[in-house]
Amino acid sequence: MPANDPQQAPAPNARHAFTWRRYLRFWGARPDADVDDELQFHIDMRTRDFMARGMTEADARAEAMRRLGNLANARASSLVIARRRERREGRTMMIDAFVHDLRFAFRTLGRRKAWTAVAVLTLAMGIGANTAVFSVVDALLLHPIPYPHADRVVFVMEQPSQANNTGVHVTISPAPQTVKSWRASARSFEDIEPYSATGRTLEFPGGSPALVRVASVLPSFSRFAEQRAIYGREFSAADVDAGGHVVLLAEDTWRRRFGADSAVLGKPLLLDGQSYTVIGVMSAGLTLPRTYGAQRVDFWAPLDLNEKRFGANVVARLRPGVDFGAAARELDSIDARSGIWGKSKPAFTNKLVKPAELVDFRDSLLLLSGAVALVLLIACANVAHLVLAAAAARQRELAIRASLGAGTARLFRQMLTESLVLALGGCAVGILAGWAGLHAVVALRPEDLRELGSIGMSGETLAFTAALCVLTAVVFGAIGVVQAARHSTHDALKAGATSASQGRRQHRLRATLVVSEMALSTVLLVGAALLIRTVVNLQRQNPGFEPANLYTLEMDLPPVDSAAKIAGRRAMLADVVRRVRGVNGVRNVTLADGAPPYRSFTIGALEIEGEAPPPPGTSALIGTATVESNYFSTLGMRFVQGGTFVDTLAPGDVIVNEGFARKHWPAGTAVGRRLRVGFPGGPPADWMRIVGVVRDAAAGMAGDPSEPMLYERSVDHIGSQILVRAREGFDPTAALRAIGQQAAPHKSPPDVVALTDVIKNSIAGPRFTMFLLALFTAIAVVLAAIGLYGVLAYSVAQRTREIGIRVALGASRRRIARSIVSDGVRLAVIGVVIGGVVAVWATKLVASMLHGVERTDPTSFLLGALVLLATAVIACIVPVRRAVTVDPSIAMRSE
Amino acid sequence: MPDLNTDFLRGTLDLMILKTLSWAPSHGYGIARWIEQCTDDVLQVEEGSLYPALYRLEEKGYVTSEWGITDQNRRAKFYRLTTAGKKHLRAQHDYWARFAGAVVRVLETSPQSA
Repeated sequence: MPANDPQQAPAPNARHAFTWRRYLRFWGARPDADVDDELQFHIDMRTRDFMARGMTEADARAEAMRRLGNLANARASSLVIARRRERREGRTMMIDAFVHDLRFAFRTLGRRKAWTAVAVLTLAMGIGANTAVFSVVDALLLHPIPYPHADRVVFVMEQPSQANNTGVHVTISPAPQTVKSWRASARSFEDIEPYSATGRTLEFPGGSPALVRVASVLPSFSRFAEQRAIYGREFSAADVDAGGHVVLLAEDTWRRRFGADSAVLGKPLLLDGQSYTVIGVMSAGLTLPRTYGAQRVDFWAPLDLNEKRFGANVVARLRPGVDFGAAARELDSIDARSGIWGKSKPAFTNKLVKPAELVDFRDSLLLLSGAVALVLLIACANVAHLVLAAAAARQRELAIRASLGAGTARLFRQMLTESLVLALGGCAVGILAGWAGLHAVVALRPEDLRELGSIGMSGETLAFTAALCVLTAVVFGAIGVVQAARHSTHDALKAGATSASQGRRQHRLRATLVVSEMALSTVLLVGAALLIRTVVNLQRQNPGFEPANLYTLEMDLPPVDSAAKIAGRRAMLADVVRRVRGVNGVRNVTLADGAPPYRSFTIGALEIEGEAPPPPGTSALIGTATVESNYFSTLGMRFVQGGTFVDTLAPGDVIVNEGFARKHWPAGTAVGRRLRVGFPGGPPADWMRIVGVVRDAAAGMAGDPSEPMLYERSVDHIGSQILVRAREGFDPTAALRAIGQQAAPHKSPPDVVALTDVIKNSIAGPRFTMFLLALFTAIAVVLAAIGLYGVLAYSVAQRTREIGIRVALGASRRRIARSIVSDGVRLAVIGVVIGGVVAVWATKLVASMLHGVERTDPTSFLLGALVLLATAVIACIVPVRRAVTVDPSIAMRSE
Repeated sequence: MPDLNTDFLRGTLDLMILKTLSWAPSHGYGIARWIEQCTDDVLQVEEGSLYPALYRLEEKGYVTSEWGITDQNRRAKFYRLTTAGKKHLRAQHDYWARFAGAVVRVLETSPQSA
């Protein structure tokens, strides 16, 4: 090492200088100033050196600058590096601080295990309920359609152009030739895809017969859904022209039923006795719309638009920017041009419906979403109680840390980290609970909510839950900090920490929380009570017939498009009826083309003799059923006037429902009056004479009993439903199924159902909603009770000394108990009153789901209030017991 | 005077800075002066390039810097070698010694003596 002038050697006292850093860092690093200062120092030193060698100051400075070279360049590149490093260090410091906070949070929470467990479980309940419900909302309402550009995908439906006042939502599937003309000329759409799905019997060599679901679609359907065959080929127009006896296996069918055999191509199989050739395997990504009449699909078959007999649903994709109304009007005008309505006014207009609007469960889902949001709010309020109690207990700790120099921001971050850890715990347990809950919901779902079947948890749901979690964390953290910040350091450090005024302020905050919990619970209770009463009404509803021991046998019957086929069907049905009569326990059998609680309709204009005829061109939905004369006795429908058809060959007798008769002939008798149903564009209809009036048969949830229901006599005896009345204690299901199977061996297995099940299913939706709402309400009430309990218990604990003094001064235990209970009940009553007022408005949400009960039903409100007050009293028990067992001699010594 | 801005020579500058700092912490000007004196002013550092080099070394963790006070009672930024810097210096030192030795051998060896 070359020894040199010590003056120029590296600064010897640098060690001392390093202590400066701390103070400079305190203000945060400023890379620009640092770089400039450093360069300035260099220039100054150099100048001084040169001046020491005898240069003038100006020359020295110039020479120093020259030696430095490109100053701007050096400055710029130094700055880039310095800034980059600064950023990175800032990040590292933040992460370090966070890790520290996290570790501290775990330690703190670990010290309060019971407290933490209660908080996490409470949050988990709220978050779990929300996760489960949001999963369903996400799948059904937010992503109802499994096709690309879902925002432009709509269902096309036809609806009667005249008023539909049946109270029943009616949509009609467009006829094949209509769909064909739309596809040919509609310009508002990119695609129009009809589809249908049916159950059929599958038979193939090497497999036992099975019922499978076959979807029929056009060759363009897979392109519409942007899915491809994973094996073999897809349909072509040539397949359809050749009779369409080819199928694609759904991927799942291929794997499950055919063992993913690659030799399956070209294999023959039978569907309902007709032979088909397998041409490929369709990707599992191709599905029918979940919302509208679709289930799983096992086979894909080509759809033939030239075939007359099918009712297909139609899903379509609009061109970007096309308005719904305009697109529907275009379809209307195509219908008008196509001439399918002849000269008469079209009986249908077209309507485009967004997939989410078709979710049956939509209103219920919105209601339940609201309910779980309230549950979460209540859970949050409860955790807030816990945080407040903990904050009070930690005042000293926080004060000490503050006085040792921890800034407000630092403390805030610490509290926030703690609540974040808490919320994350709640979130994790909540996701588990939500997952379990979702599976329970899917498992318990009623049959007619089958779209619930395929629901799982999506990434969106998890993101939603995570957002909830962060939100709750911020709320608690804020509450804790605000509470902590209110207490001055000085106060808290004094012995006997909680001063009276602080106690009062905290108590007020906690009371407010409890009152809100009580109010929210009341709202939920009123809603649940309304739904429970609705379901009870539905269950008690007199269906107008006797469903017990009544069964329907429905078979897949051949079409009747010729006289010979009608005769064949009549013979076959006569044979079936004869054999059913022979079944042990069968009392009565009748053929009909519909059975309650469902209704069938004709479209036309109803004219009543003696009243003004309907305006020309009228067409409305009129409930009609074609029945045999023993229909009413078999179903147990009682006549109010007149009686059933007399079995003569003369047509023109009709039986009407009671509500209709009462509306038109309120005083007199309806029997003997005449009415007729005219069809648009058709010849004048014959008059029909009313021969009897029967009780209204309920049509499930909806339906106005005064709407006409006309029973006409079946003349050709080809009704598609076979209604069977069995004797008490006999279940003919198996026998009926065997008879149906024998009568049509290659057809889909016959459907045999008990009418009691049908009725039960018809109210399964409301009952399911009621069950879930009641469940969420129960959770809410329990949480609210825990909240009230917490507040009372805390106040008893705080007042131990006061209670002790009062006991010592002679206050009776009863008096003490009364004061505690009255505290609790007062909070509950305030909550009930606020909740009741809110409920008057909030019950609008359930209005559409109610049956036989007003949304302002006083009984439900009263019921809600009573349940809540009872719960509040129960919540008082433990605190009261604790208060009355206070031993004055111990109490007065404490603190 | 060699141009210390080329990539090749940048490594040389780094090495000289690290070596300088291995004696004691110093500010940028001190480093420049030290290198000048050691090389009897043969190797004049283009002083502008010294500072980006220092910042780069700091970023890599070979040196740390702190503001301090010089003997003349002026505020200056002092650099100090870190443990990582020492390790790096050792490795580079060996490498450069052998490299320079090899170059010198090539320059001083004539075909006859080979």
